[in-house]
This record gives sequence, structure tokens and C-alpha cells, in this order.
Amino acid sequence: MVPDSVYGAILLSIIDFFLSFAIIAGIGAVLSFFPYLNRLGEIDEKKLREGGH
Amino acid sequence: MLDQVLFFFNALLQQTGAAHFTLGNLVMIAIGGTMIYLAIIKHYEPLLLIGIGFSCIVANVPGPPDVPGGPPVSALLYVVKEGGLFHYAYEGVAKLIVPPLIFLGVGAMTDFGPMIANPKLVILGAGAHLGIFVALILAKLVGFTINEAGAIGIIGGADGPMAIFVTVKLAPHLLGPISVAAYSYMALMPMIQPPVMKLLTNPEERKIGMTQLRKVSKLEKIVFPAVIAIIVNLFFPPVAPLITMLMLGNLLKEVGVTERLAKTAGGALMNIIIIILTVAIGSTMAADKFLTWDTILIVGLGLLAFLFGTASGVITAKIMNLFMKDKINPLIGSAGIASVPIAARVSHIVANQANPHNHLIYHAMGPNLAGVFGTAISGGIMLALLGVQ
Repeated sequence: MVPDSVYGAILLSIIDFFLSFAIIAGIGAVLSFFPYLNRLGEIDEKKLREGGH
Repeated sequence: MLDQVLFFFNALLQQTGAAHFTLGNLVMIAIGGTMIYLAIIKHYEPLLLIGIGFSCIVANVPGPPDVPGGPPVSALLYVVKEGGLFHYAYEGVAKLIVPPLIFLGVGAMTDFGPMIANPKLVILGAGAHLGIFVALILAKLVGFTINEAGAIGIIGGADGPMAIFVTVKLAPHLLGPISVAAYSYMALMPMIQPPVMKLLTNPEERKIGMTQLRKVSKLEKIVFPAVIAIIVNLFFPPVAPLITMLMLGNLLKEVGVTERLAKTAGGALMNIIIIILTVAIGSTMAADKFLTWDTILIVGLGLLAFLFGTASGVITAKIMNLFMKDKINPLIGSAGIASVPIAARVSHIVANQANPHNHLIYHAMGPNLAGVFGTAISGGIMLALLGVQ
């Protein structure tokens, strides 16, 4: 898809670098909503472990 | 009589490795010895360097030729060649069985709490990856193909399993030098990163303390692997096997009801995989194959990738400080390069040297863990753009 040339390498690098930024920022945005999960309740870690095998 | 003795002596010599020993072998044995030295004396990632260093030494002790008149074969290569014990170890690496299992173990040993607790710092996981692209462009400039350049660039992600994974997909013939460069530089990060970090920060910046992170609940930690697995499988199928196994390992750890499985994945299984991996990598370091112009270029480009990755992480953190009310210590930016937890430890140590009251390890783990995803995302986009499944 990307031409095998220096131009292709530069193009690939620019697209990849900025797209990575955007997607990582997206993951960060998803994580910023995680505290709201705690409104669903709390997990009793002791009970979890008691059910372990 | 003397002629006959000399003739037999010479014939005997030809059946040993001594007659086939080269200067290149000596250089590689010195490199292997240095790795073991750094592991024992400097404590630089002994789990990796001992196995790689020892295998490198043995791979460079030539044995007699495999067939009369053929090239000498080292004792280690006897076990690496088809049918030998470590042949299957190398196949495990080359056929991409080992990297996902490493990620399973890493997931089972990792607390993603620091990344969940401070999502703003996740961006450093992308910022510290400029090195990938610097190395990629330079590799293309010096004559590698675009696929080879991509594989060389991924060294800058400082993530061994991901480097192996992308290399096997893009340029499998470069697996030896790229995996050696990636793992060796990861182990040597305590030497490579601090000069760059100090060059780009002033003493006041290095002293910046950071407020304690919020406590992340068990529910958040259990939901996290499932959410990330969905995102990665949805958008980055080429790298999904690695991240899926990372998240499975993490789920085994966090749910609390599969403690045995988590302990095995992060303990015994991980240790077995490390032994296989390090011997498989070290066994590719025979002088005749390793001391080539291409390998020297790859090792040089890999170092540049690490240097630029470290620098771009610190600079990204400094740019973030321009917009943030609560300043972050820019030293944690370099941890975004991945290589968990080595890079985070380096950030903590350098900050602690500047201010003995500064304990940044937990803060640096956030960008460090995000760096794993940053490398995976960069690798996934690269594979997609190069049309490789």
C-alpha cells in the first residue's frame, strides 16, 4: 500500500505517529470514564478470593 | 616419521573447533561476556542478559564441520539445528508462539492501576515513540526495503515481544539482529536513557514532585482488560494476538478466583519462556551471521531509535506541562517508551537522584504501561499500511 521509497517511509511515519497519538488519546478518554464504574457498586475482594481454586 | 605425526596432528586439529576459530568469534565472545558482566555486576536485566550472553558465547565456539569440508558448526548450533532441542525453541519464536505467551505472563504480573488512575499520562505512551519513525526513515535512507525499515523502526518501541512479532511479519530474515538489538538495548536502558533525560531537563524540572494518584477499584481493574481487548481486536487485528494475551493474563490476575493460573502464567511458564527466548536469541549471534554490515546498521539504528524515543517522551511531557495546572515531572515522559518496568525504574531513579524525596515509580508506571499499547498501536498501523496481515 505504501510505496517502497523514502517518500513512502516518511508518509508511513507521519500517518502512524499522529494516528497513534489519536488512538492512545482515545484510550485515555475511555479510561477517564472508569471512575463512573464505581457507581455500580463495590466488589468484595475477600469474597472473590474465597471463591478461588 | 615426524611428517606423519604432523599430518595426523593436523588432521586431528581439523576435526576440532580450534582450527576454525576466527577473530569474529573472539569479538562475539567478548560481547557475550560483556552481557554477562553487566547482568552480574551492574544487575542490568539478568533474566535476559545471562541467557543471551551465554548462548552468544557458545554460538561462537566453532566445532568441527557438520559435513567433511563444510563450514564449522558450533556445539550450540547442533542443538539449534533441525531435530535439536533449541531448534524448537527458535521455531517457537519464529512462528510467533513465544511472544503471545510472554505477553500472557506480563499481563499476569502487571498492575494496570497506575495507567487507569491517571488517563492524562497515557498520551506519553504515544509521545515516546518518535524513535520508531526516526529509525524507520533512516533505515530506508541507508538502503533497507520499506518492510525491513519498519521492522528496524519497531526496535524503538522497546518492547521485545512486539519487535519479534512485527519483524516476523515484515522481515523474518532480520529476526536475529533485531531481537538481539531490542532485548540488549532494553537491558541497557539504565545506561542509555539518563544522559538524554538530563540533557533535556533542568534540575528544577527533575525535582518536580507529583501528587498521589487515586485508588483504582477492583471493578475498574476487572473491566479494563475486557475493554482494551475489545478496542484492540476491533481496530488493530494484526497485533490482536499479543494484546489479547496480555489482557487475558491481566484478567487472570485481577479476578481473584484464578490465582493458580495467574501464578503459573506469570511464574513458571514465564520463566520457561524466558529461558527458551534468551537461548533462541543468543544462538543467532554466531559471528559469521551476526558481524555483517546490515547487523551493524541495525544495531546503530536501534540505538538511535531508543535515544530519540527517550527524548520525544521527555519533550512530550514538557509540552503537556505548558497546559497542565498540576505539573508533571518530565522525567516520567521517557517511561512512555515501554519496556516495562525498566523505563519506569529509570525515571524513578533519575528523579530520586535530583530530589531524594521524589518517588515517581508509580507515576512513571502509567506512561510505561501506556507505552506497551503505544508500541502495539504503532506496529498495528504499520502492518496495516504495509498491507501485511
